[in-house]
Amino acid sequence: MILHTINKPSALALCEHLIADDDLVVLIEEGVYLASGTLPGRCYALEMDVLARGLADSVSNTRLIDYDTFVELSTEAAKVCAWF
Amino acid sequence: MTSILFIFSGAPHTSLNAQEGLDALLMGSAFTDCRLLLLGQGVLQLRNNQEAERIGRKNYTPGFAALADYGVSGIACRRSDLETWHLSVEQLSLDVQVLEDKDCRAWLDEADRVLTFR
Amino acid sequence: MKFAIIVQGSPYASQSCHSALLFADAVVRAGHELTRVFFYHDGVLVANRLIAPPQDEQDISLAWQTFAEAHRVELVACIASCLRRGILDETEASRYGRDASSLAPGFIISGLGQLVDATMNADRVVTFGA
Repeated sequence: MILHTINKPSALALCEHLIADDDLVVLIEEGVYLASGTLPGRCYALEMDVLARGLADSVSNTRLIDYDTFVELSTEAAKVCAWF
Repeated sequence: MTSILFIFSGAPHTSLNAQEGLDALLMGSAFTDCRLLLLGQGVLQLRNNQEAERIGRKNYTPGFAALADYGVSGIACRRSDLETWHLSVEQLSLDVQVLEDKDCRAWLDEADRVLTFR
Repeated sequence: MKFAIIVQGSPYASQSCHSALLFADAVVRAGHELTRVFFYHDGVLVANRLIAPPQDEQDISLAWQTFAEAHRVELVACIASCLRRGILDETEASRYGRDASSLAPGFIISGLGQLVDATMNADRVVTFGA
């Protein structure tokens, strides 16, 4: 199981067909603009980045997490792939 | 041995990131098993006939052809990216494996570490 | 668990230096070992000693220095990336005949072997790109 970080919407095209259903996806930085759409894997978004961009009311399908949870998730995955 | 998959996803010459990524890959291959996967615009690194000197850059892209000599155990791009950029394998500067998405995923799974550059 | 972090983005044209610092802080607070932070590409610009941001903005270079000192974390800036971008320690400034050095305290300049070593020896490598 892999944890994928996505830091901008355009990076989704690189990785969306490489993400397995049980993979973790963590949206960071501008990647949080993807939180309102449909994504593969089990999806999380960094709350700090969501709030910074005024997106609190448009991320209903995504679990918001802090950096502590981000670190915890990265220990659960076998490896971390960064898409940017 | 800890295997490393390098992924390049940026086009050449505007930034030097791939040139620096290539340096990292060469260093990695001196120590361990490394593979290179070119995704997205990364496949444009392999376009033949590049003349980067015309825009004041050093053309580092011939360095990709030397990777096999340095022991890099696989170089590949993705079929859908070739289609996106209307490229045929004949237009690439070296022979690479052309992978489907599921094969790219297998490369991710087989690597112990993944380093991405763009 | 051992973590290594790679920072590739400029401190002002990207968020990567900031995101990486928050992640690094969470790593050490969780009791994990942060073996090395490797700055590459424009990420090395955060190691510029001469950065002088306005008072009402976070000094991200200083924030990294403070973090590294508090937790004894190694901050390594890639030498090839540094030389291109004018980040020189005293040794390199002297080698290249420059009239000043510009590497901030808390950072060291070293080669790509440090990137490969960190990648192979950490249990998790997390990259923050631009």
